[in-house]
Amino acid sequence: MNTCIEVKDLTKSFNGRTVVNGITFSVEKGEVFGLLGHNGAGKSTTIDLLLGLKKPDCGTGTIFGLEPSTNRKAVFERVGVQLQSSNYQKNIRVDELCKEMSALYENPEDYRRLLRIFSLEKLEKSRVDKLSGGERQKLSVALALINDPEIVFLDELTTGLDTAARREVWGHLKDLKKKGTTIFLTTHYMEEAESLCDRIFLIKDGKKITEGTVKEVIESSPYENLEEAYLWYMGEEAAI
Amino acid sequence: MKRFLKLYVIEQKLALRSGDMLIFGVAMPVGIMILINMIAGQKQAGEGFTYLQSSFASLIAVGICAAAFMGIPLTIADYRDKKILKHFFTTPCSPVWILGSDMLCGGVTALLSAVSVALVSVVFLGYEMMGNILAFIGSWLLTLVSMFSIGLLMASLCRTIKSVNAVTSLVYFPMLFLSGATIPYELFPSGLQKVANFLPLTQGIKLMKAVSMGIELENVWKIVLLLVGITAVSTVISVKTFRWE
Repeated sequence: MNTCIEVKDLTKSFNGRTVVNGITFSVEKGEVFGLLGHNGAGKSTTIDLLLGLKKPDCGTGTIFGLEPSTNRKAVFERVGVQLQSSNYQKNIRVDELCKEMSALYENPEDYRRLLRIFSLEKLEKSRVDKLSGGERQKLSVALALINDPEIVFLDELTTGLDTAARREVWGHLKDLKKKGTTIFLTTHYMEEAESLCDRIFLIKDGKKITEGTVKEVIESSPYENLEEAYLWYMGEEAAI
Repeated sequence: MKRFLKLYVIEQKLALRSGDMLIFGVAMPVGIMILINMIAGQKQAGEGFTYLQSSFASLIAVGICAAAFMGIPLTIADYRDKKILKHFFTTPCSPVWILGSDMLCGGVTALLSAVSVALVSVVFLGYEMMGNILAFIGSWLLTLVSMFSIGLLMASLCRTIKSVNAVTSLVYFPMLFLSGATIPYELFPSGLQKVANFLPLTQGIKLMKAVSMGIELENVWKIVLLLVGITAVSTVISVKTFRWE
């Protein structure tokens, strides 16, 4: 195994409020890594800092040993990203969006193949804004894979999906994992973390609470499933 | 380059599909051109030139006005709001690509508009340019670049979609009606002419008019310098203040 993502002591404040506070972790190649926490816990900011979209106050985030902000070309040819609640141009069609995204990479995948995998091929000529929530989320995952990435970042990809659509997306992610793709995801659904993640990392108010495999995290709590253990870690036992 | 063109072609398709630019940038100036000619085409607008001659240069600028003060800032603000610009940061390409392709779309709108107005004027209304055509194209390009830089500045300074909407309305309509682009400048009372002179587009139109009529405007160099200055200042401020999200 070798490390492909390394985060050291990442810290970021906005207007005096520390959103990410001394976060340190690493992700091995081929691993599914889940960053878990409530809304506003600092998950998206951690991703932004790691990807070089925001400048950290201190600490570093590297991917393949490189800082993304100064090595954009080298890093992002090999990394796919789905940002939280992605929106697209007004009136754009699925095929046009795929072509536009393909144009950004040296060796893009055949987008029609990706649409087939995600059973979106019938929607190729549809307007993106006419798609259902589930179809649009599947499309955003497909777009994150358009450069056949070695690492894919998925920020709350199943928020707002119904159970069937969520399971379908999970299925695709498991296939990706079999292929050896490293997956970095954030979620606040414990079922999702349990079903997909090799390792999870819990944060609250920008600080690390615990990390480990799902089993380890459950075992070091007094509870028997991840949802209850999660609430316990978050200090919200009253909800159990 | 090939990849940039692919991106541009899709952005251009989207721009044409929305239709706004074709209506405000192309159909409107052509319609006004025909209207002005029906009302007062051969009447003298000033010493030695007709309304047709005067309005030719100004209506050719309407496409620039629509692209610079509506199309470009609205598109950039929308893409920023939708995090499309941010998404470009997570690809090997720079978001400058998408800004560039949208500026190019604006340029194509302005060109389409200018060509349509010119065709209608020459073919149907019997317009003949007295001045040098190449010099006229140069003055058009200078006006385009300087106005686009102002459009970019608007997109940079406004942080939200709401403020961009408000500012585009505040800038676009006065530029459209008071710069002489649509309502002939010669019809304004002198007080209003003085106010209009403060609008950058008025200066661009004055330059284009002077060149199209072959007039040796004594302050033509002043206008050229002014437009170059506007371009430089707006571009520097936009680049310094631009926010991707």
